Amino acid sequence: MNIIEELQRKRTQQMTRRYVLKRSGLALGALAMGAMGCSDNQLAQLPMTNHDAAKLAVAKAKQVIFLHMAGAPSQLELFDYKPLLHKLDGKPCPDSLLEGKRFAFIEGVPEMLGPQFSFGQYGQSGSWVSEMLPNFSSVVDDVLFLKAVKTDEFNHAPAQLFMHTGSARIGRPGIGSWVTYGLGSENENLPGFVVLVSGNSIPSGGKSLWGSGFLPSKYQGVELRSKGDPILYINNPETISRDIRRHAIDAINEINQESYDEIGDPEILSRMSQYELAFKMQMTVPEATDVSKEPDYIHDMYGTNPGETSFANNCLLARRLAERGVRFIQLYHRGWDSHGSNNFENLHGGFKERCQEIDKPMTALITDLKQRGMLEETLVVWGGEFGRTPMQENRQGNRNPFKGRDHHGDAFTMWMTGGGVKTGITYGETDEIGYYGVDGQIHIHDLQATILHQLGINHEQLTYPFQGREFRLTDVHGHVVHDILV
Amino acid sequence: MTCHGGVKAEGGLSFLFENDVYKETKSGHTPIIRGNAAASELHKRITSDDADVVMPAEGPRLSENEIDLLTDWIDQGAEWGVHWAYQQLNEAEVVNAKLPEWATNGIDYYVLDKLKSLDLQPTKEADKETILRRVSFDLTGLPPSLTDQEIFLNDNSDSAFEDLVDRLLASAHFGERWAAVWLDLARYADSRGYQKDLLRPHIWRYRDWVIHAFNQDMPFDQFTIEQLAGDLLDNPTDDQLLATAFHRNTMTNDEGGTDDEEFRIAAVMDRLHTTFEIWQATTIACVQCHSHPYDPIMHKEYYGLYAFFNNTADEDLYSDAPVQNLLSPIDRKQLTALSFKKDSMHLVGDTINQEFKILLANMEKFQPAPVQIMQELQDTLRRESHVFERGNWLVKGELVEPQIPSFLPAFKTSYEANRLGLAKWLVEDENPLTARVMVNRFWEQIFGKGIVETTEDFGTQGSAPSHPELLDWLAIQFKDDFAWSVKTLIKTIVMSSTYRQSSEVSAALVEKDPYNRYLARGPRFRLTAEQIRDQALAVSGLLNEKAYGKSVMPHQPEGVWNVIRHAATWKQDTTGDQYRRGLYTFWRRVSPYPSMQTFDAPTREFCVSRRINTNTPLQALVTLNDPVFVEAASALGKDVLSNGGHSFDSRIDYMYRKALCKKPSENSLEALNTFHEQINKEAKLNNKSIDENEQDIWMNMASVVMNLDEFIMKN
Repeated sequence: MNIIEELQRKRTQQMTRRYVLKRSGLALGALAMGAMGCSDNQLAQLPMTNHDAAKLAVAKAKQVIFLHMAGAPSQLELFDYKPLLHKLDGKPCPDSLLEGKRFAFIEGVPEMLGPQFSFGQYGQSGSWVSEMLPNFSSVVDDVLFLKAVKTDEFNHAPAQLFMHTGSARIGRPGIGSWVTYGLGSENENLPGFVVLVSGNSIPSGGKSLWGSGFLPSKYQGVELRSKGDPILYINNPETISRDIRRHAIDAINEINQESYDEIGDPEILSRMSQYELAFKMQMTVPEATDVSKEPDYIHDMYGTNPGETSFANNCLLARRLAERGVRFIQLYHRGWDSHGSNNFENLHGGFKERCQEIDKPMTALITDLKQRGMLEETLVVWGGEFGRTPMQENRQGNRNPFKGRDHHGDAFTMWMTGGGVKTGITYGETDEIGYYGVDGQIHIHDLQATILHQLGINHEQLTYPFQGREFRLTDVHGHVVHDILV
Repeated sequence: MTCHGGVKAEGGLSFLFENDVYKETKSGHTPIIRGNAAASELHKRITSDDADVVMPAEGPRLSENEIDLLTDWIDQGAEWGVHWAYQQLNEAEVVNAKLPEWATNGIDYYVLDKLKSLDLQPTKEADKETILRRVSFDLTGLPPSLTDQEIFLNDNSDSAFEDLVDRLLASAHFGERWAAVWLDLARYADSRGYQKDLLRPHIWRYRDWVIHAFNQDMPFDQFTIEQLAGDLLDNPTDDQLLATAFHRNTMTNDEGGTDDEEFRIAAVMDRLHTTFEIWQATTIACVQCHSHPYDPIMHKEYYGLYAFFNNTADEDLYSDAPVQNLLSPIDRKQLTALSFKKDSMHLVGDTINQEFKILLANMEKFQPAPVQIMQELQDTLRRESHVFERGNWLVKGELVEPQIPSFLPAFKTSYEANRLGLAKWLVEDENPLTARVMVNRFWEQIFGKGIVETTEDFGTQGSAPSHPELLDWLAIQFKDDFAWSVKTLIKTIVMSSTYRQSSEVSAALVEKDPYNRYLARGPRFRLTAEQIRDQALAVSGLLNEKAYGKSVMPHQPEGVWNVIRHAATWKQDTTGDQYRRGLYTFWRRVSPYPSMQTFDAPTREFCVSRRINTNTPLQALVTLNDPVFVEAASALGKDVLSNGGHSFDSRIDYMYRKALCKKPSENSLEALNTFHEQINKEAKLNNKSIDENEQDIWMNMASVVMNLDEFIMKN
């Protein structure tokens, strides 16, 4: 007897037994809920992953709102105050900072660049915030600052992919896909992973940032569009009323029921429930996404104008989706790439405008969630894909015409709130010029492990087999940062 | 394997490599002493009562049975087995002499054998309508037209089915249907990928090469060699160069500030992973960083394979070089025909000036354009290949030469140490994997599941074949008897009695074999993304059946392509190309066509062997509300009003024939009649003309039929 064959046979037997168990559950009509709230007997056939093994005893957060600032805002102009940079402003960068480094655009010897805005300390925590975020400075005691976040990548698309999929290459599932794959959805009538985009276009990393990669496509992020149908094809054609649609689905399912009676394929039952769910989504999605019904004081608080594509509208929408149990709400706001090569990329130009666009709404989001008692169960994460250099960028050796900084992955600031993280503290520290983390460094994989942990998922256990091995969001890395958890 | 495999070899012990288990480990013990279980450390460990000694360290003890099995195996000499997939093909028994009554060919012999062992019976043959629709989708990806139905359903001769199969195999749609499968493997797209995702506006010529190759029934060994190494053949033809665009479907990164060498290497590795996944169902991406955790591939051997691909001229450049001006095979044929005509016209003189001008204008349409191709570097520019320590391209280790991993058939010294040699090695007689892997892929497309379910992985982590003898028999047939003819292989599969069974299933059979691994019934599964689109267009009469040509832009909601700064624009075709088959839809990696993505089409960044079918409400929204499907329902509704007679029953009858290739049941008629009355009532409340109302009503009726489970499924 060939030992490998024998082992293989045992493994197959084992798998088959589990399949049958899952399957018989389905036959009883217990149509399991997936991320899209849909039954799916195909799921039972997927490569085996034991979701239960990945689940922790306690989940502090039920959902996540991730505010991603695509393009990478300068931490040195917002949170990481470095007075020494004032003194060094205009001086050539010492060789020791340049040796062995790879930059995206800096060449030769650039000059150091001092903080472009004034800073103050706020709240009981005395957290540093620049004058660019006057509203946000009022809620710093509710916020956890991470000052020494570190990434492996220093170009936009790879770094965004790294942040959201754990890998710098296209083709891996996004974090929201992993989360809905692991936990399913709280609301079967809405997608479990929703994406909201503002700024002039979607981020550099493209739709792969919320793709499901090798996970089944039902886990991919669903983009809520601000113009046209909020979800593609959610609205009936003009000539078809909701009543007619109801009757149509009744007719479809009556004939499908007959097919099931004749053919006996349980897949037909799944299809029937798929149509019922689609009908419900047609009702819930327009209602959930209609911010115009919100009272005036809420619009004042967020600075929203219904009908616009804006970060403010998306923040309000995020709160509405969180209220309705959407598991992972991903916001992208683009336009932070302040190289100084043109006014859009000028710290005193585009950067300033972006700050004005986010300051009020993100502050309102925290306040609003807190007032509704939702903040405890909602983890809010803010940050870009990397940070920026303490040097003024000098593209091709010449100083750029406007004030700006190059990409920098070794140390940058993110903040979090809610979902069981400590607040009113700053974790991690950078050196005197904000170049490297000197204490409390958090790598992107650590951040991902920690987010999953708060949702009650063990990041090492939530895996999926592909190309011959078990893949996970954090690859073979990542440690939960227990120091920042309540 | 998790503890004693290629990544972790705890206590210095790995069970992956034969050499490791018969010699002393770190502890000074020998795991296995051939013929002497009692003296073998392995035996002590699995039988020990001491909790600190017993293995496995975690999890339950091995059962008595398992222990006996291992003990006997060691006592009998502990012969090191070879994993089934790497063994030579088993010469099949001569099955034709003893075919049982139910069987049509060798497939049925093996299937029936298995069924008997499981105490299962085959299901009755499917009715003619069902089998017609099934085989039409399998061979052409399209439903049968009314004419197809008329011919086959009225043909009562013994050869009716075979004649039908032959007609379908000869159709130009055959190549389209199977190219769609190959293009997922080839990760074909009309754009370069990564941040900017610039377009590759001419690479569709490669897609046409694939369609053409399937239609010509190019032998699969030639199909392999031309795609992997057409440029290295003696005096390659334009078509052979075009075929090498296969491996230029890798992504090119044009983002500012990225390192070209890093992404050149990424492309080379992708070629390696893709080649081994497609032809050998061997997943080796993990060996980039360390030895394979489960299969016997060493870290260094990975770079030996890498070296086969590391000397091509492409360098992740903005120009996407090397490129060559090429025509698609079909365009060249047409151009040749036209220039032949032109030459003959010269003889007649000036009188046909006008006609001559038109001819020249026609010839203008077939211009060669730059297609990304493979090109080997000149000898003086050849790169050395190194092991990358822990997969990091910046840390170069040992120098390596092109080399095949030792667990695979030896690489003959007569082969060139380059892509051409590798391609020859893949299709040589001694390589058992290529034929097994390929017949399994075709089988999966037709039955929904491969004989080996993990079509992408025949290694120890893949699933075992449900019918190992059948797999080998088919592989030998394909390679030897059919001389790698894909059409003959597919014909053999669909001619079998196994294929022609009805897909009806009893609760007891669902319980026994929920996923139809053992084929006691016919296949039943969802149509592919492309087929769902094509079917809607075909049954409504909108389909533009033109084959080949540049990629097209059908209706897509506004704003979908607003993806990046350098966005190209989606300009909807309006002159008929918007109704072409899904396979011709412009495929942009960062923003794939939404309705096809909803139906599980991949983004084509990497080779994808299996599309995992999912079932989501968003799919229902596509077939109910996507303007493409609404337009199709409207066209079918109009067709019914014009050609379906005047009575309700005759109209439904006509619609069912067109859409589902069957007669409606009493119950369906009743459900549709109820629906008809409901819309009729609502229609009376509005101010539209009777004609307009009728059209709306029958658009709705058609939409119901086009959303039925039996419409979305291959039955």
